[in-house]
Amino acid sequence: MKSEKKRFKNIINKIKNDRQLKYGTFGIIFLLLVVLLSPLISTHDPNVFGPDALNKIGENGHLLGTNHLGQDIFSMIIHGTRTSLKVAIISALISGMLGILIGGVGGFFGGRVDQVISEKINIFMMLPTFFLILLIISLFGNSITNVMIVIGLTTWPSNAKLMRAQALSLRERTFVRSAVAMGENRRQILFKYIIPNGIFPVVANTTMGMSNAILTEASLSFLGLGDPNVISWGQMIYTGKAYLTSAWWISTFAGLAIVITVIFFYLLGDGLNHVLNPKYVNRKGE
Amino acid sequence: METILELQDYSVTYINQNNDKKVHAVKDANFKINKGDSLGIVGESGSGKSTMAMALLRLLSPKSVEISGSANFIGNELTILPEEELKKIRWKELAVVFQKSMNALSPVHRIGNQIEDIYRVHNPQATKKEVFERVKILFEMVNLSDRVYHLYPHELSGGMLQRVAIALSLIHSPKLLILDEATTALDVVTQGQILDEIEKMEKTMDMTRIMITHDMSVVAASCNKVAVMYAGEFMEIGLVKDVLKYPKHPYTKGLLSAFPSLTDTRAKLTAIKGFLPDLSAEQTGCIFAPRCEYAMDICKSERPKSVFMKDGTQVRCHLCKEGD
Amino acid sequence: MTGLLTVVIVFAINFVIIRLAPGDPIKTLMGKENDDPVLRAALEEKYGLDKSMPMQFVLYLKTAMTGDLGTSIIYNRPVIDMIAEKIFATLLLVLSAALLALIIGTIMGIHAARHEGSLVDVIFSGVAYVLNSMPSFWLGLMLIIIFASRLKVLPSCGMTDTRASYIGGKYVLDVLKHMILPVGTLLLIQIPSYFRIAKSSVLQVSNEDFITTLRATGMGERKIFNKYIFRNAILPTITIFGISMAYLITGVALIEIVFAWPGTGRLVLTAITQRDYPTLMGIYLIMSISVAVVMILVDIVYALFDPRIRY
Repeated sequence: MKSEKKRFKNIINKIKNDRQLKYGTFGIIFLLLVVLLSPLISTHDPNVFGPDALNKIGENGHLLGTNHLGQDIFSMIIHGTRTSLKVAIISALISGMLGILIGGVGGFFGGRVDQVISEKINIFMMLPTFFLILLIISLFGNSITNVMIVIGLTTWPSNAKLMRAQALSLRERTFVRSAVAMGENRRQILFKYIIPNGIFPVVANTTMGMSNAILTEASLSFLGLGDPNVISWGQMIYTGKAYLTSAWWISTFAGLAIVITVIFFYLLGDGLNHVLNPKYVNRKGE
Repeated sequence: METILELQDYSVTYINQNNDKKVHAVKDANFKINKGDSLGIVGESGSGKSTMAMALLRLLSPKSVEISGSANFIGNELTILPEEELKKIRWKELAVVFQKSMNALSPVHRIGNQIEDIYRVHNPQATKKEVFERVKILFEMVNLSDRVYHLYPHELSGGMLQRVAIALSLIHSPKLLILDEATTALDVVTQGQILDEIEKMEKTMDMTRIMITHDMSVVAASCNKVAVMYAGEFMEIGLVKDVLKYPKHPYTKGLLSAFPSLTDTRAKLTAIKGFLPDLSAEQTGCIFAPRCEYAMDICKSERPKSVFMKDGTQVRCHLCKEGD
Repeated sequence: MTGLLTVVIVFAINFVIIRLAPGDPIKTLMGKENDDPVLRAALEEKYGLDKSMPMQFVLYLKTAMTGDLGTSIIYNRPVIDMIAEKIFATLLLVLSAALLALIIGTIMGIHAARHEGSLVDVIFSGVAYVLNSMPSFWLGLMLIIIFASRLKVLPSCGMTDTRASYIGGKYVLDVLKHMILPVGTLLLIQIPSYFRIAKSSVLQVSNEDFITTLRATGMGERKIFNKYIFRNAILPTITIFGISMAYLITGVALIEIVFAWPGTGRLVLTAITQRDYPTLMGIYLIMSISVAVVMILVDIVYALFDPRIRY
């Protein structure tokens, strides 16, 4: 009980000490709050096509104006937060799990298995993923679920590479070797020891992946491959393009929202990297 | 006797930018080295030996290091010499062979290329041929083949790189050569060869040498003076024949009994109990007191001054009174 | 080498994807409206749908090798032709942006490293951070708003001024004027990568032992920096160039769309909206091969600069 409390305090301390981690965490918490409180914060229902089309900033009670269909920009941005976070988290989860599994297996089992896996990782890392995603989405349909899954399926290589490096070094550690010597099942060792201890740099990398996921989704929407049933910042920029000179606020604020969110995720990722540096962590695992 | 290097109350302190913590790496060093001397500075890892070598040539970043006291090198006050003057002395009069020569040279340039650049610092008009001829002689001295000149650093073994570093340090025939654990990475035979060569050169080139090491046997074999360093402070400084036979400081005694002797009876090796102190904490009393067998009350409260004994040895210990 | 394998995999992906997609692959390749039985029979034979899968793949490879990347559904022209005529415009953007970003970003990074902690360093680092978080197309749009719409100093789209027809020197100037915003956008997006790597690399190398040794020999700071620190620190930048090019090759499409630049990127847009799969796949193929080629070249250049790596 006491050690749990101490550990928690430890974590809070670490967050306080690293500036980037601090701002990043606050930023993410802020975003989560926005998502949770969205019905309260939004001034209008974003899905409603109102009568005030192309209103300027502040006009008719629309904080950031409206688009050509009368939707309130401010409220749309608030609701778009949920979409972005959803895309970020789910694609990161898929990408992370795949990466950890594949990288862990390769690094831990070694030998031929590892050779094949590393080759695969290297090849996939070279492929231009954005275009592949584009291709797949255009073929398979542009629902937001598809987008999330496809991003997850195409971004696992970097996670796998990190996990593999971790697995390779953890493999030589005494506590793993003794587990092997004691006859523990290899699969058990993988899941009980290797993965929990090697996961930390992957977590930091996944956070970066989240920012990329948001940018990718925005790019897809900009190309017209977004999900029209969902409010997303990328979509907003897309629709705003036609009104660039007359109603610049449609595209601008949505883009700003993306920039701020991505910065938060980068801060978090950078901070995590500082704190969860493998050198640092392996001492904990001892 | 011409004095080559004289240190007076020379101190080197690291200052941590973020929390203003000070680490006293070298504290109040006082000694004189005359021409032709070979001084061995002995001490445990972390005792500040390497710091001193770097500090003398002002190779430590001024942002993080504070140097006080005086370091007089043949009439030049090293601590306050302007950068331009200091550069003229570097390598030409005072050269250093650093630890870990593994990384002593740029990995993307050929060895010969770098040596030429280094030679041309003080001889800008030198031709490639000149440099090569000079280096050939030095390489021979350290038992290296000529073709090393045309290789890249990563193509050599650690021992070979160490020897290149040693040869390089002699390139301008400096008056004072500081070797920081320079032979540690080498096998005993090569080590002996190199030390022999260096001793020979000392006589022909009138070179003075400081050897920084933790290996007392090297000091015993090739130095005439020895300075025992502990946690940044010099505990005992004197002639090798005096200090090694009749050590006066408890630390020296401890060090010597920790080394096996080839000739003496098979006595049990004793280690000095304890660890090096935290050099950032303020110290009251003698810095060695916590580990000293003979510690008295005064040792814990008052820092002993460095005094001269009858045979000329300097000792910093309450047990030793001046002129004993 | 891995490069070649990648290319093969790209082909494989192209091949597999069409067949995995919902619906009939031939229909997909023909276009939903088209139902010409003659065309259908021709396509079926070409792709050998009656033969086994591996045979189909081989057939596919063979056709691709001859330069036949299929026929566009919409324009009814060979895909390869369509790409070829637009590729120059795209290369213009990609190469200019890549080189400029390399030079500017690296210089900024080196400066920040040498004056670490100074106001300049802080500003550069902050700007780099923010630029790195922007969607490229949004930045392009913002630049259009500022420079073309509000300030009216630069053209907002196209490669040339369509109202006049210049030749010779005037033509070049006109193109350059139109290039400023799109290249500028790409440039701003890429600079942070070069900045970051240059800064960290210079800092790291400056702390290496051999630099201390060189200082101890009395060598001047200038020579130490220009010859020794630079040569060692430039290595990671070479790798970044490869990554940056890969990003540019795939990301330039978005910018071309924003600025209505007549390059392959716009082909992509029409291909997407019209579901012109042969074109899309053809572009994907060309893009991937270009990236693979760039990566191989970067590896070779890296080996030239770092004697520790020799094949």
